[in-house]
Formats: sequence, structure tokens, C-alpha cells
Amino acid sequence: MPIIPAELVHSGGMPAAAELEEKLLTAQTLLAETSEHLIEVVDVLKSYGEVLDAYSTNLIFQAEHQFLVPVPLFKYLDGEKSPAKIWRHLNHDRINFEYAEYCMKAMLWHGTGGLDAYLDSEAFAESCAVIIRRKTRRDPLLALLHPLFSGFLIELIRTAATTHALGQFWRVMSDLFLDLARSEADGSVASIEAVVEFIKDGLVAAAANPITYGVEVAGEHLWVLPPEAGLTFLVDVAVPYVEAVFLRGLPFLGTVSFNAQAQQISPDQAKFAYGALFADPLPTMGAGIPPSLLMQDMFRHLPQRLDRLYRKRTRGEGDVRVKICMSFQKSMFCVTNAAIRGTFPHPLNSPEPAAREANRAYAAAWAARLAAARTDCLDPLP
Amino acid sequence: MPMLSILLLIPFAGALALVLWPGQLAPGRLRAVALVVLGLQLAWSLMVLARFDPSSSAMQLQESLPWVSGLGLEYRLGVDGLSMPLVLINAALTLVSAICTRDISQRPRLYFALVLLISGAVNGAFLAENLLLFFLFYELELIPLWALISIWGGANRSYAATKFLIFTAVSGMLILGAFLGLALATGTVDFSLTPVSSERLAMGTQLFLLGALLIGFGIKVPLFPFHNWLPDAHTQASTPVSVLLAGVLLKLGTYGLLRFCLGLFPEAWAQLAPGLAIWAAVSVLFGSLAAIAQKDMKRMVAYSSVGHMGYILLAAAAATPVAILGAVFQMVSHGLISALLFLLVGIVYRKTGTRDLTVLHGLLNPERGLPFTGTLMILGVMASAGMPGMAGFISEFMVFRGSISAYPLATLLSMLGSGLTAVYFLLLVNRAFFGRLAITPVTDPVTHGRLDVQLAPVAPRETIPATGLAMAVVAIGLLPAGLGRLSESTSTAIAQLPALVSALQLASGPLLGLQAGGLG
Repeated sequence: MPIIPAELVHSGGMPAAAELEEKLLTAQTLLAETSEHLIEVVDVLKSYGEVLDAYSTNLIFQAEHQFLVPVPLFKYLDGEKSPAKIWRHLNHDRINFEYAEYCMKAMLWHGTGGLDAYLDSEAFAESCAVIIRRKTRRDPLLALLHPLFSGFLIELIRTAATTHALGQFWRVMSDLFLDLARSEADGSVASIEAVVEFIKDGLVAAAANPITYGVEVAGEHLWVLPPEAGLTFLVDVAVPYVEAVFLRGLPFLGTVSFNAQAQQISPDQAKFAYGALFADPLPTMGAGIPPSLLMQDMFRHLPQRLDRLYRKRTRGEGDVRVKICMSFQKSMFCVTNAAIRGTFPHPLNSPEPAAREANRAYAAAWAARLAAARTDCLDPLP
Repeated sequence: MPMLSILLLIPFAGALALVLWPGQLAPGRLRAVALVVLGLQLAWSLMVLARFDPSSSAMQLQESLPWVSGLGLEYRLGVDGLSMPLVLINAALTLVSAICTRDISQRPRLYFALVLLISGAVNGAFLAENLLLFFLFYELELIPLWALISIWGGANRSYAATKFLIFTAVSGMLILGAFLGLALATGTVDFSLTPVSSERLAMGTQLFLLGALLIGFGIKVPLFPFHNWLPDAHTQASTPVSVLLAGVLLKLGTYGLLRFCLGLFPEAWAQLAPGLAIWAAVSVLFGSLAAIAQKDMKRMVAYSSVGHMGYILLAAAAATPVAILGAVFQMVSHGLISALLFLLVGIVYRKTGTRDLTVLHGLLNPERGLPFTGTLMILGVMASAGMPGMAGFISEFMVFRGSISAYPLATLLSMLGSGLTAVYFLLLVNRAFFGRLAITPVTDPVTHGRLDVQLAPVAPRETIPATGLAMAVVAIGLLPAGLGRLSESTSTAIAQLPALVSALQLASGPLLGLQAGGLG
């Protein structure tokens, strides 16, 4: 048996579901309270906020200005088609908007929550019919496509609606994370507990924001997601987003591949566990693993303080994307922690046994899922 | 100017200077001196190459000096198309092994002196034109290598070093015995490199002497079943010593097969050749199958040597011009490729502390693993498996092309061994380099998938020697003509030896009869 130097391998603890449940119910933070964790979480969320700002702007641009464009060649350029911008784009000196699209497609495909229900409703089908009628009148290619593949344009409109909704969601999150960084800088947020509370308050404040989406077709404004549909920020977009991107995700091929025939991928979509909270930070930049795109984008916007911290650890800049991914998972556990805290059915200090029981069941359901996630990032580094 | 003597003088003088230099010298300084000496040796080898005339098959740049004439020992050096590439490989790989010797704290003065001594002795053996002189240099390299393994080796080094010493000492005794036996049987003390004809020596005696030589060099090559010392020696030796051992010292065995077995006894060789071809195929298959079973990366590469040296015996058995040229190519390409693989295994071992294939996974990981080392490893194993575009393909193709018409079965079996090379090396690459990065055994897959592995990065300078070797492997694969031109005349001449000797005999036989009749 070979002698493996102990300092070469480190494995974080894997808290049991009961322990996580207890922490949720007693309003403790999942992430260990350390000063390094605070820097990691706040700074990574700051760079994430800047990246989300770009993602959000682009998704909204795509939904509004590339609506039903059959070959959207310039969809990542935000309408600015100067040769310099195109050159930078081709040279890959840009944000990886592909990652935003992966997230949108994950939401569309997993299809949970109110948005998805509305996209399958009668009302939505009627607005689609109106839009398609107007649009095909002036566009011969669409006029040819629609009778041949009657579901195609409707699916494109569903995609555009999800794109726009995700853009609106990230607009709120981007502002929230940048606000958090400012609050930490001015000293009003100084602990992991305060970070979780700050995010929870932000989510609660935005919870009832309406989600709407309208397009201009031939100078006429038409609703895709009308105000009457009653879609709101938290329940109809944020929760499905967390479900699709944080938890379920998609089993992309990376350095570790899956064999679906051998049932290595669950046939039950609800049991998928390939999301951001489950992602292995190590195979970053391997073939086709989308989180690596996000890590690269965040690396471009990394605050100096965090950069200095990373340079002192392991391989310095050599494995910086792995470290960003680990910090990102820490911060996403904080966001999840805040979301759970904000969505308990009853106040945690409620004396009523029935309310306490309902809260316990809610916490247990979350803890069971999180226990299988990359909880090893929650402990402080040795 | 005595071009070839200087080639011996440089390393020997360097070794002597290192030992005698007064005062305490830092290991880094000693290494620098060794590097300068070996750089000089390489430069001088290139000078010899520049003076070398590839169109001639004869010994060139000859130097001779009577030494102990009563014993038949003559200081007689020469270089031809067979020894020229090997002298170059020796200079290059000794330099590589000195470059990749880092952080040597234990007796660095002795270490570098021994490395220089080995390089000089190997040069002497390749250049010697006298059997006893060859034997002298052949033995001279044993003790330094034994010391290199037994002083700077792994935990089980004394066992491996002693085993090496016993095997190679037997090899030396057999070779010396055969040389003395030859002198005794022919009744002369002429130890020159003259082919023996059956007119001078009965075939039975020839076969006996050739048998002794075959076993002697077969141990050194090594060929199955005399290979037993090699995997142990490699696993216990440090990386630079493994590079020397695989890249240079094994070539003494194959050089001996071509120069002395085939060169001295062409007729007896032709008689034994069908059996030798089968022996080669068995050695190839045994080496490959044994490599498949290995769990230690270094042992796997060591067994691959056993397999790949078998090709040279196959080529020598066929003894066609193409096959002999293929054998020269195989010596060079095996030297480069095995040195490359040992260097890379050394890097993996230094960074992870293990070579166990059941434990290493995912080292190709771009951020936390050893991606460039892994890339070179993939290139190295592809070259070893005979992928076109690299040195291994050229040599294997020529060996097979040259042998298939003479020994179709043995050649086909050897080709199978070439396919098995792909099997074991893909096993190696797949286990150690693909998948999720880990350097611990899988006890619990869940926690195993969460290991935060922190390997020190490989500095670019650490991979310079390996990159150089990889470039040479590709260069020979893409432009083999240079090496081919260098050795073609000599390999053609070697291939024609058996025919030449029997032709001479046919021509002289009746003549002798006539003379006898006339006298009668």
C-alpha cells in the first residue's frame, strides 16, 4: 500500500440530514461562521452580481429584440454591432452568455412552478396564436415554418418567456448581491448570519414583484406574460430557478460521464442532483461542464481582496476556478439558507405544536436533499 | 585528432575531477559541473557525427594502440552506423538523467561521478573494436550502476541491486567465457571483430559459443526468461537511474546481439535464427502480458521494455537489411520513449507519492492535476504503442516489414504484442489520468468524490527534459530519413554477413581442395 501524504488530500465533513435540519430550525447558518468565509461569500457574490447584471441585460435583450428571429446571429451583442465588439466576441474577450442560456433551458426543461403552468395554459396558447398570426404576416420564413411544424413557434415563444422571466429574476438578484457587497464594505453586514438575513430580506421584499413580458410586433404591443396571469417573483420564478439550477441541474458530460442505460441517471427527473449545489468543483474547464463558464466569468470580475486570498492558497492563480467554484457553493448555500428561512410556513418561534410540526417537516424535506449536496464546503478549511 | 578517445576522456576525466576536487561543494555546483561535462560530451558526439561518413559501412575514425599484446588486448576504437546513433543516445540521455536529478542531498559528489563513469564506459563499449576491450567497458559499467541503485534507490534497493549484480555478473561471465572460448578454439589470441567461418571452426563449437553469448546478452537486454532482474531494478532505482538503465544500458545487450552474436557467428546465427524468432515472439508476448497485470506504473513501463526489446531480437533473427535497420531504429526509439515514460512516471511519483494504478485517478485534471505531464504521457504511450507519426511506428513497421517474409508466425505474434502495448498503456492512462482526480483508494465512492486533492503544480522547468524527449520522438517519427541514412550502409552490411561468409566458404572450399590435391 502506498504512502499518501496526508496534506495532499482533504475531505470536508458531510453533516447528516438531522444536523442540517436542526440548524435550519434553530436559525443557525449552514455555512460555518468564519472571517474567511465572510470574505469569500461577499466577494464571490459581488463578482456574481456583476456577471448576473450582464446575463440579465442580455437575456432581456434576447427576449425583446431577438424575439422569433430564426437565426439569431447577433444575440450576444446586446444590439451593438460595431466591428470592435464583434472582434472581441469572436476573440472570446466576453462574458459567457451561454451559461445564462443553459440555466434558462434547465428551467424550461425541468418546468416546475407557476411560470411553467402558465406556459401550458389556454390563455398562453391564445396569446401565442395572436402573436404568430401577426408575425407570420410579415415574415415569409415563419409563415412557411408554422404550418409545417405547428408546435415550433409556440415552443420558441415559451423559450422567450422563460428567458425574459430569468432576466427579470437575475436583475433583482444582481442588485441584491451588489447591495450586499456595499453593506459589507460599510460595515453593516459583518457575519455569515447577517449575510443570510440580508439575502432573506431582499428575497422577501421582492417576493410579490410581478413578472410580465410583452413584445412589439409590427409596432403593436402584445403580452406574452400578461399582468393578469398574476406571476410573481418568488413563487413563480425564484423557486423554480432554485429547483432547476441549484438542485436538479443537467448531467452534462465532463471528465466523469454518465451512462443513462445503466440507470446512472435517474429516470425520475425530480430526483436529478446535478445542480450547482451538487457540482464537483474539480473537473472545471473539462469538456462541456457549464459551471466552468460561470467560474470563468466570475474570474474576470474577481474583487482584489478575494484574489489576494486565493493567491495564498494551493496553486495560486493556477487553480483559481476551482477555488471560485468552492466559494460559489458556499455562497449558494447561504442563498439557499436564506430562501428556506424566508419560506418557512410558520414563524420559527411559533409556540403552536401544529405550526412547529409543519416547520419541522418543511426543514426535514430540505435537509434530506441538501445532505447529499456538496456540504463538504460548509466547514472551514483546515 | 583522436576523436573517439576524447569521447571517452571527457566523461572519465569529468568523473575523476568530481571525485578529486578539493573542499566541500554544494550539490547544485556538482550538478552544474556534471551538466557541463555531459554537455561537452554531447557536443563532441555531434562533432564525431559531423566527421562520420554515412555512405561507408566500414569502421571509421579508427584508433588503435597496442595494450597487452600477449593477451590479445588492444586499445582499438572505431565507429560505424550501428554504434553512431547509440553514442548519440548515450550522450543525450545521460545529460537528461543529470538534468532531472534534483534535490540530491546524499553523497552528490559520488553520484555524479558514477553517472559520468557509466556514460564513459557505455561509450567505450559501443566504440570498442576489440572483444576484450568491449568486455572491459561492459563490466566497468556494472558496479557504478549497482551503487546507483543500492545507495540512491527505494526502500527495497539492496535486494534489487544485488539481484541486478548477480544477473549481470553471470551475463559478463558468459560473454567473457565465449570470447575466451573463441580464442581457445581458433587457437589465436586475436580478439578482433572478424566473423568466424565454419571452415575455421566446427559448427558445433560455434553454436556452443553463440549460445553462451546469446544468454549473456539475453540477460542484459533482457529477454524472457532472463528478465527477472529488470522490473525490480527499475522500481527501486530513482528516476534518473531508470532513464539511464532503460534508455542506454539495455542497449548494450541488443548492441551485443547484433555486433557479437550475429557479427561473429553469422553462420551459426543463421542456423539458430528460426528459434530466435520464436524466442523473440515469446519475449514480446510475455513482456506485454506481464505489463497488463502490473499495478505499479514503473513496473508496467519496465515490463513494456521486456516486450519492446524482443522486437530487436526478431529483427536480428530475420537479418534482412530492412529488419536490421529497424532494429537500430527500435534501439533509438525505445531509448527515447522509455526514458520519456520513466521521466513522467518520476514526476507523478514526486508529486503524488505513489505510482499505484489502483490509487491514482484523473491526473489530467487541468487545474488541480498534472495536465502537461499527462499530455506528454499520452504522447509517450501512443509512441510506444506504435502510433504513426512517432518514432515507435517507424521502428516497429521496419522490424515487421523486414521480418514478415522470413518468419511470418513470429512476426504476427510480435505484432500482437504491439497491439497489447496499446492495451496496457491505455489501461495506465485510463486509470491514472482520466476520471475524477484522486490519489487515494476508493473505499467509499461518496467521500472519494469529494476529496479536495492538493498536488503541488509541476513547474515548467521540471518538464523540459521530458518535452525535449517527446519532441525527439515526434521528430524521428516525422523525419526518419536522417537516422536511416546514418545506419543504412552498416545495417545492410550486417544483414549480408551470413550470405557473405557462406559465399566466401563456397569460393574457398574447392580451392582448398585443389591445393590439397596439388600438394598430395
